[in-house]
Amino acid sequence: MSGYKIIVMIKQVPDQGSKAGLNPDGTIDRARAKRMLNPFDRFALQAALHTKKTYGGTVTAISMGPPPAVEILLEALAHGVDQAFLLSDRRLAASDTLATAYALYKTIEYVGDFDIIYCGLQTTDGDTAQVGPQLAERLGLPQITYCEDFSVKNGKVRARRIIEGGHQEVEVKPPVLVTIANSYHPLEYKSFRGAWRVQRLQRDKEALEKIVKTVNLDDVGADPDRCGLKGSPTIVAKTEKVGELGGSCTMHEGESTEHMVREVVACGALNEFLAH
Amino acid sequence: MTEDKKNENPEQGNTESQDASEEETRDVSMFCPKGDVLVIAEQILGDLQPVTLELLGAGRILADKMDQSLKCLIMGHELGDLPQQLLEYGADEVFVADHEKLKNYRTLPYRRVVCDFLESLPEPPHTCLLGSTTTGRDLAPRIAAHFETGLTADTTELDIGPYDHKSKVDPSKVGLYPNCLYAIRPSFGESLKARILGPWKNPQMATTRPGVMTPLKRDKNRKGEIKKIPVNLQDNDLRLEVVEVVREIAKGVKLTEADVIVAGGYGLGTQEGFNLIKQLADCFENSAVGASRKVVDLGWIPYQHQVGQTGKTVRPKLYIACGISGAIQHRVGMSKSGLILAINKDPDAPIFKFAHQGIVGDCYQVIPELIEQLKKQMSKDKNKDKDQGVEAVVGTH
Repeated sequence: MSGYKIIVMIKQVPDQGSKAGLNPDGTIDRARAKRMLNPFDRFALQAALHTKKTYGGTVTAISMGPPPAVEILLEALAHGVDQAFLLSDRRLAASDTLATAYALYKTIEYVGDFDIIYCGLQTTDGDTAQVGPQLAERLGLPQITYCEDFSVKNGKVRARRIIEGGHQEVEVKPPVLVTIANSYHPLEYKSFRGAWRVQRLQRDKEALEKIVKTVNLDDVGADPDRCGLKGSPTIVAKTEKVGELGGSCTMHEGESTEHMVREVVACGALNEFLAH
Repeated sequence: MTEDKKNENPEQGNTESQDASEEETRDVSMFCPKGDVLVIAEQILGDLQPVTLELLGAGRILADKMDQSLKCLIMGHELGDLPQQLLEYGADEVFVADHEKLKNYRTLPYRRVVCDFLESLPEPPHTCLLGSTTTGRDLAPRIAAHFETGLTADTTELDIGPYDHKSKVDPSKVGLYPNCLYAIRPSFGESLKARILGPWKNPQMATTRPGVMTPLKRDKNRKGEIKKIPVNLQDNDLRLEVVEVVREIAKGVKLTEADVIVAGGYGLGTQEGFNLIKQLADCFENSAVGASRKVVDLGWIPYQHQVGQTGKTVRPKLYIACGISGAIQHRVGMSKSGLILAINKDPDAPIFKFAHQGIVGDCYQVIPELIEQLKKQMSKDKNKDKDQGVEAVVGTH
């Protein structure tokens, strides 16, 4: 085998650390919000690039979202990804995880053959960790979720995955879908070559469109009825504001540290749990 | 491989032009009739996971509300009295899949058993619940995708209630659904709770955060049925092998079981701040170190310590938050702690809105002082123990 065919799934999410685009009621106005690469996907990207660097192969990044999501695909390219696909279609609006997994599954089928698919553990906007496994189900693949570390030996992926209070060592022959936990190695800096390549591509629209292809549901042969609101078995029926909590905090402020700490210790609650 | 099939009729008629006079609420209860509640149990190396008992507590309430039975499915090998325990914690019927190859959790064999089991039932359950654990979040989406049914992740509240669906995007769905699973979860980055529904198809699925629901008291007199179910694994299911299972109890990261959690955040300024956090934690019995997401992302401390929306939900008796601002993402993971003590330089930090005791000050001054005073207290207690003997020991807990 001349290297692995690697796919990495990434998503653009609103930057929740920035106040831009936050509506007064606490919801996010996605049009105004600052956008960023889903922080969890940075680990997936690192895993994909590490695999390529260590074992050889090519990396294809796939994303789904409105046209501005091209930004994160360019970012991935600058980090060393070889080519990218953006699935963009208005009919995808309001897709839940099942509909999203279906659309991505059709996109992967369209993109072609692969050995390993890497996904972030979850996204910071949806926060479900469901799309990865649902995609694996559609593709009929084994999966390794919560992967913290891995190696490829004798044609097998060996991985450590987190479980409650410990971890599992697992082994599987590709093809496989892996979701990377945020305890994996952080994403390395952009490569000089990659950044230069992106700069060049941004000046040459034609060349760019060959490397970063935007496709729609018809291109990938997806059934629109299984996407978007129509293809989603769940809906958000109601949202309510989480009430302001408590307001009954006993504040210790402006006194000497020793005094403030003594007051807290004196309330007795801490003593109950002291070690012996 | 891509056959560019030209869609002859791309915008195929959205048959939305249905008779507008048909405004009356349609009874669509046949879509999601009442039914049993199924909890999928979780065990690791023969230990029942606490979330399973919590799910039985929550599932019991839902089943009683619909006047239906609470089923529980457990998978593994040589499970001993675990099935009996599940009855004692609230299940009416326990189904046991016992097979050598099910000893350790693996996605595909467990998926096979659950799917076969659900297909063998004359009616699908109304609701199917799993824990939002590394196992539940691995397995639940596979089941939901297989049955093309709705799944809500990380719920913090569950209920059964009616829903009047008015959206005409899909006219066949319009109507009143009398028995929906209300799957309620905090909506991330937003101070909102979202109620998510999927009443079009049973089972309506949800995963539930550990530490949120309340288990029933164990009742050894509770009676119920324990049934073995067949396990038919296919070669395809065994592609992935578990080479080893390591439990890291010794490391002491038992966040969800600790009585006291001392947690550090970005306000600590540097990774070294966690040395202080550990020293403070060591002052307490059955304590653990927690962290906010930001410092985990920065690599100051491993992910296993993360408390909050994308980490663990904890409910210790005492939570000491050091240099943690208290954003909603962190709050949802710890706000149910017994006593919250916050230490923060910024008097306007949101954490002071829901802490019980707050010290405005620098962590590097307050924590060492706190450790010193607690240590004095400990030596005092020790002397007291000597004087009062057994009584003091009873009094400490």
